[in-house]
Amino acid sequence: MTVGTEFYLLLSAGMFCIGLFGVLTRRNAIMFLVSVELMLNAANINLVAFSFFYGNVTGQVFALFTIGLAAAEVAIGIGIILVLVRNYGDVDVENATTMRW
Amino acid sequence: MSRPRLRLGRHLLPGVIAIALFGVMASVFLTASIGDPAGFGDASVIESIGFSLLNIADVEGTIPTEGFLAAFIVIALALDAALDGSIMLARRDEGDETGMRADGGDTGGEEE
Amino acid sequence: MAIFEISPAIALLPFVSFLLALVAGKYMPKKGAIGGIVATGGSLVLSVLAVIAVAGGSEYQHTYWMWTDSAPIDLSFGILIDPLSALMLVVVSLVAFLVHIFSLGYMNAEGETGLPRYYAELGLFTFSMLAFVYADNLLMAFMFFELVGLCSYLLIGFWFRTDSAASAAKKAFLVTRFGDYFFLIGVVGILATFGTAQFASVGGTESFAAVAESSLSDSSTALWMPDAVSAQQWITGLGLLVLGGVIGKSAQFPLHTWLPDAMEGPTTVSALIHAATMVAAGVYLVARMFAFYALSPTALGIIAFVGGFTALFAATMGSVKNDVKQVLAYSTISQYGYMMLGLGVGGYVAGVFHLMNHAFFKALLFLGAGAVIILMHHEQDMWKMGGLKDKAPVVYYTFLAGALALAGIIPFSGFWSKDEILFDAIILGLDDPVFLMAYAMGLTAVFFTGFYTFRMVFLTFHGEPRSEAARDPHSIGWAVKIPLITLGALATVAGVANLAPVEKLTGIGNATFLTDWLDGEYGGFDALTYHQYTDTAGLETAYIAGSEGTTVLIAGALALGLALAGAGLAYYLYNVPRPEPHVENLGSVRDVLYSNYYLDEFQVALAERVTMPVARAANTFDQSVVDGVVNGSGSVSLFSGDRLRRIQTGVVTDYAAMLGIALVVLLVGFGLYGGWLL
Repeated sequence: MTVGTEFYLLLSAGMFCIGLFGVLTRRNAIMFLVSVELMLNAANINLVAFSFFYGNVTGQVFALFTIGLAAAEVAIGIGIILVLVRNYGDVDVENATTMRW
Repeated sequence: MSRPRLRLGRHLLPGVIAIALFGVMASVFLTASIGDPAGFGDASVIESIGFSLLNIADVEGTIPTEGFLAAFIVIALALDAALDGSIMLARRDEGDETGMRADGGDTGGEEE
Repeated sequence: MAIFEISPAIALLPFVSFLLALVAGKYMPKKGAIGGIVATGGSLVLSVLAVIAVAGGSEYQHTYWMWTDSAPIDLSFGILIDPLSALMLVVVSLVAFLVHIFSLGYMNAEGETGLPRYYAELGLFTFSMLAFVYADNLLMAFMFFELVGLCSYLLIGFWFRTDSAASAAKKAFLVTRFGDYFFLIGVVGILATFGTAQFASVGGTESFAAVAESSLSDSSTALWMPDAVSAQQWITGLGLLVLGGVIGKSAQFPLHTWLPDAMEGPTTVSALIHAATMVAAGVYLVARMFAFYALSPTALGIIAFVGGFTALFAATMGSVKNDVKQVLAYSTISQYGYMMLGLGVGGYVAGVFHLMNHAFFKALLFLGAGAVIILMHHEQDMWKMGGLKDKAPVVYYTFLAGALALAGIIPFSGFWSKDEILFDAIILGLDDPVFLMAYAMGLTAVFFTGFYTFRMVFLTFHGEPRSEAARDPHSIGWAVKIPLITLGALATVAGVANLAPVEKLTGIGNATFLTDWLDGEYGGFDALTYHQYTDTAGLETAYIAGSEGTTVLIAGALALGLALAGAGLAYYLYNVPRPEPHVENLGSVRDVLYSNYYLDEFQVALAERVTMPVARAANTFDQSVVDGVVNGSGSVSLFSGDRLRRIQTGVVTDYAAMLGIALVVLLVGFGLYGGWLL
């Protein structure tokens, strides 16, 4: 008995929303990056689930590419956090608010 | 004694948006009528992925799919660029004195 | 006919002299005078040739330029030369020519400055007046009517550095403009109602008068008719609207207040513009459009009444003035009242005859006054003059000829035309009380005319000299004397043109040359002839004791008798060595007359008490409501922008929150709309 596709979708939606929750409430920049990673992986689950639904491997290949890109993005993100710490002295995102009204 | 504390309070209010989004998505997914998944049969998924990444098609025992060689190379380039970029961002500017200290800066350093 | 081919040159020659004086005037020896004299002389020659051509039996109408060709209304510029316009062309160009010659003596010899401007403005005026005279449609006539008013403003304000001259120029322009506003509405109404503004039915297009006449019996022939009023009432209304412009330009009551002030301009300007030509434009327009006015007896009655009233009204005011030019100004208003009276009672020939005579004798009187002013070293108060008849005989005798013509003493020209007007008035007045009142006012004005004219003559020329300037007058040259002599001769003999009483009483034929001229006996368009007008107007006439001869004798005797009585009173009061200002004896009547029946104060009060508050209210409305709305919308966006920018807090998580909210809202919205949510 295979698990129905809607449960995979539900799982992916749940992970996405947990990641979104983290993005919205976290003040530490590194935890912000972790939440973004969670959102990316939720998308991956979705891709693989539909790849199984249509019997087409394209979805899984695409998921691989997404993982690679997520890695690249985190690398740059850590770099940016380093610069943030250098300029504002703390990893708190609520300190860096000069581009405002 | 400092240990991580879970902060609760008003600052969690924006999180309601995430919960609302989950509610919307769940109601859509559960009420949709999705058919049975097609599945892969006896074919080997890993082999199929490998062959498609290198644009080798129509080998026996694999699921036929389109070629991804170009995308593969693009991802390689992107990872390369990301590596260089992060190194550039992490590099110190000329004469920047804020360094990473192993002891957290408790000892006086050069003043002693 | 060759002359008709070059008829545009009649108006364009003075235009060329205008340009020449404007551009090269200061380099010319007489500052533009020679150019003006040559140009008006040329126009005079061409006008006389046009008269000869019309006398040979032809008439001319040609459209030179269409400015819109969209049916059903065409707007064009064209020329119409028929007996009336040919006559007026000669009158205008002759007076303009003589005034240019006189200006050599009045302006150049007296060392005035700004002469190129003067001759340029005179040239522009002559161009617009001539073009107005032979305009072939009402819209073109309106445009040149306005241009003539502009030139009048420029010329009255020639000495603009004095406040009174600048203010008089503005007053003239504004008062005539007020009348012209109604004229414009009338022109638009005529164009919209009849689809055409042509004066003559030529070449397939009907004149607007012909369309109006057919629309009286059958309204569908007109382009458009309003539903609320009958065709007759609408035609009367249009006629009265155009009359507004006529009243303003010809200085009839109540828009006469500008003409006495216009005497601030040089006397030559007063002679040309405010005596002979520009003020004639209004009366000429009525004569030109007479086919249209003949359709509306109400309008004719109003014209006659206004004319008669103005004649009396202005004559009473002229009797108490001390400045020689002011007396002549009120005299002009009064005489134009006579012309309007003549036209209003259907006396088309009488009105046009008086127009022609008046142009000559009034220009003569003004130029004579100009000569007197030169003699008196620029003094204009008659109480400082006296005894000039021995010192300047040419001026005296020509001025006397003009005065006799003005007062209407036989056999000078003024008598024949004024008598004919009064005759035409009484034959209608015997049946109709309105016309009878108009006749009575005109008749009373004859007495006053005789009185003020001879008062002016006696005070200026007779008696002992009353000041140093009168004892030792300045000399005048031939440039002054020649126009005076020419006009004096004309004032004496021009009456021969239409000796209607002689023809009626003695039965000699061909004494009424002008009537034949205007009746199409020579050339002319059929619809624009005197008998056609009389038939259309259909005014009922009656005679005293049933006989035309008796009526002629009685009316003539009354007019002549009153004129001689007025002259006699002036002789008794003023032809003494040392006359006194008897007008002081009139007491408070004198104050009223001297203040012009307080009409100027009335008009100023109207402006201050009525127009100013309305203007102020409109201004407040504009600034608070209209500007308020515009400024308000601006401040709404400023305010909302000021509040909305606080969304940009700079905190990244807030931006993510906004993205999230937007996503949720869009999903819910599309889901409910598409039906896949819930």
